Amino acid sequence: MSQRPEILKTVTVGLLAGWLLSFVLAPTLLVVGLSLLSRSPAGFAGGPVTLDNYRRLADPIYLHVFAESFATAFIATLLCLLLGYPFAYGLARARPGLRPLLLTLVIVPFWTSSLVRIYAIRGLLAAKGALNNLLLAAGLIDQPVRLLYTQTAEIVGLVHVLLPFMILPLYASLEKLDPRLLEAARDLGAGPFRRFRHVVLPLTLPGVVAGCLLVFLPALGLFYVGDVLGGSRHLLVGNLLKDQFLEAQDWPFGAAASLVLIGLLLAFLALYAYAAKRIAPDDG
Amino acid sequence: MLVAFLVPVAAGQRELHFFNWSDYLPPAVLENFTRETGIQVHYATYDSNEAMYAKVKLLEGGGYDLVVPSTYMVDRMRKQGLLRPLDRSLLPHFGNLDPHHLDLPFDPENRYSVPYLWGMTGIGVNAERIDPASLHDWADLWQPRFRRALLLPNDMREVFHMAMRVLGLPVNSTDPAHIDAAYRKLRELMPNVRLFSSDAPQILFITGEVDAGMIWNGVAYLAARETPAIRFVQPPGGPLLWMDNLAILRNATNPDEAHALIDYLLRPEVARLISETVGYATPNAAAIAILPPEIRNDPLIYPPADVLERGEYQVDLGEAIGLYTEYWERLKAGQ
Repeated sequence: MSQRPEILKTVTVGLLAGWLLSFVLAPTLLVVGLSLLSRSPAGFAGGPVTLDNYRRLADPIYLHVFAESFATAFIATLLCLLLGYPFAYGLARARPGLRPLLLTLVIVPFWTSSLVRIYAIRGLLAAKGALNNLLLAAGLIDQPVRLLYTQTAEIVGLVHVLLPFMILPLYASLEKLDPRLLEAARDLGAGPFRRFRHVVLPLTLPGVVAGCLLVFLPALGLFYVGDVLGGSRHLLVGNLLKDQFLEAQDWPFGAAASLVLIGLLLAFLALYAYAAKRIAPDDG
Repeated sequence: MLVAFLVPVAAGQRELHFFNWSDYLPPAVLENFTRETGIQVHYATYDSNEAMYAKVKLLEGGGYDLVVPSTYMVDRMRKQGLLRPLDRSLLPHFGNLDPHHLDLPFDPENRYSVPYLWGMTGIGVNAERIDPASLHDWADLWQPRFRRALLLPNDMREVFHMAMRVLGLPVNSTDPAHIDAAYRKLRELMPNVRLFSSDAPQILFITGEVDAGMIWNGVAYLAARETPAIRFVQPPGGPLLWMDNLAILRNATNPDEAHALIDYLLRPEVARLISETVGYATPNAAAIAILPPEIRNDPLIYPPADVLERGEYQVDLGEAIGLYTEYWERLKAGQ
C-alpha cells in the first residue's frame, strides 16, 4: 500500500542527491585537485603536484587582503544588526493589520537587482548628486563633499543590500516571543533594560546569529560593491580571486585561495550550528 | 560537446559566431551584413580581454569564429596557437588599411589579425578645477595638488605601461627589477588616486568626481561634447597606443563566413559608421578620407604620422604577467 510514496521518495531523494553530487561535490573536488597543481603556461594547470599554492597564501599581502575583507564585512554586519534589531522589534509589535505592509516594504527592494541599486546609490552620493545638492541648497556646505569612493560609501552600499537579510530572521524570532513573559518580568519588578537583557535578547539570540551569518557571508563576496562605490582602491577577497583566474591565469593559486575562503566560511557555519544548539530553548 | 550549444540550422544556411567587446559595433551593421550575404550572425559580448581569453582557451580555440583581442592578447593567442592564419585572398578590402597600423610587433605581417579600432591613452583634465596648461606630462600627475583627485583605469597593463614610460623603461619590460621600480613609482602615486575604473570614465569627469586622470582620447572626445571644460592632454614623447583587432579562432567552424564579415567591416562606409558611432579612431585610410574634416584633422584623434611612429603598443608579457599581477595586488592592498 505504501509502494507509491516509497518510489516517490526514492526518486526525489535520488534527484536531489544526484544534483548535489554532480553540481556541488564534483566541482568542489575538481577545485581541490586544481589547487594542488602548478601554474602552466600552455594550459591552465599542470604538474607537479604541490602544496606551494597554500604556502603562498601565507604572504602578508594575502593575509592583509583577507583581514581587510573580514573587517569590512564585520562592520557592515554590526551596522545591519544595530539598524535591523529596532526595526524588527517595531515590526513584531506593530498592529497585526499593518505587519504585511511593513514586511512588503522590507522585501520590495529585492524586486530590483542589487547591482542596479548600487549604481543608484552612486547617483545619490555623487559630487553633483542628490545628497550634495540638498546640503548645498540648505547652506550646510558651500562646496560639494566627495562622498564616493571611500570605505564609508562601500559600507553604506553593503548595509543597504544586506539589511533585509538581517531583519527577516530577527522578525521571525521576535514574533514568536510570548508577550506574557515580558508581563511576568514586569510584574516581578524588572525595568525595561533588564527585561531586554534577560528576556528578549536570550530568546531572540538564534535570530541574531542567523541574521549576522546571512549578512556576514555574502558581505565577503559582494566585490562589485567595492568596485562601484569604493573605487576599486582596496583589494577584497572577491577581487583577489578574480585577478588570479583572469589576469594572472594562475588557476591553481586562485583555487587554493577560494578553498581557504570556503574553509573559513564553513568554520563560521559550524560555529553557528554549535551556538544554535547551545542556546536553543529546551521547551518544545 | 564543445559545440553542443550551437543551434542546429537548416541545411545551406550560413552562420557565424562573433564574440566582440560590448558597445563596440552598431547593431545596424550586422543586420545589413545578414541582409546582403544571408549569413546569420550569432553575436555575444565580453568586457575584458582576459574574460574572452579564458573562454576561448577552455574551448581550445573553438566555440566562436571571430574575436576582437587587443594587441597583447593577439600576441599571446597567436603564440599559443589559438588563432588561424588569415587568407588574404578572401579580404579584398584589406588594402584600405593605413600601413601605419600594419605589420606591428604583436603580429608581424598581420598573419592573424586585422586592425579594427585604435586609440591613444593621454591625460584628461577638468579645466574648471585645474589649468590644462599647467599639466603637460605624465610625471605631473605625481604633484601633491592632485591628492585624492585622480582617475586611473582599472587595467593593470595600462597603469604599468604609464609608469614604465615615466621612468623611461621599456614599456613591455619583463625584467623583475623594472617591474619592481614601476611598482615603487606607482606606490608614490597612490595617495593621489581617487579611484580605479574603466567603466564609463567620462562620467567621472562630467560629474566632477575627479580633476584629472588617464583617459582614452575617444572617451575624452565624447565627454568634451557634453562638458567643454574637459580637455585631453597628449603628453610629449610617444603616445601610449592601444588597438583592438579582428581575428579568427584556430578551431572556428565557419572560417569563410568570418572572413566575409571581416572584409565587410573593412569597407570604407561601414568602418566610418562604426568609428563615428563607437567614438574611437579607425585604422581604415579609405574610411578616414570620407570623415568630416574637423574629425579627420583633429590631432588628438588622428595624430600626425611622426607622433604615431613614436607610440608603443602592449605586447604579451609571457610568464612575467604573474609578477605584474602580484605587484598590482600589492599596490591595491597598500603594502
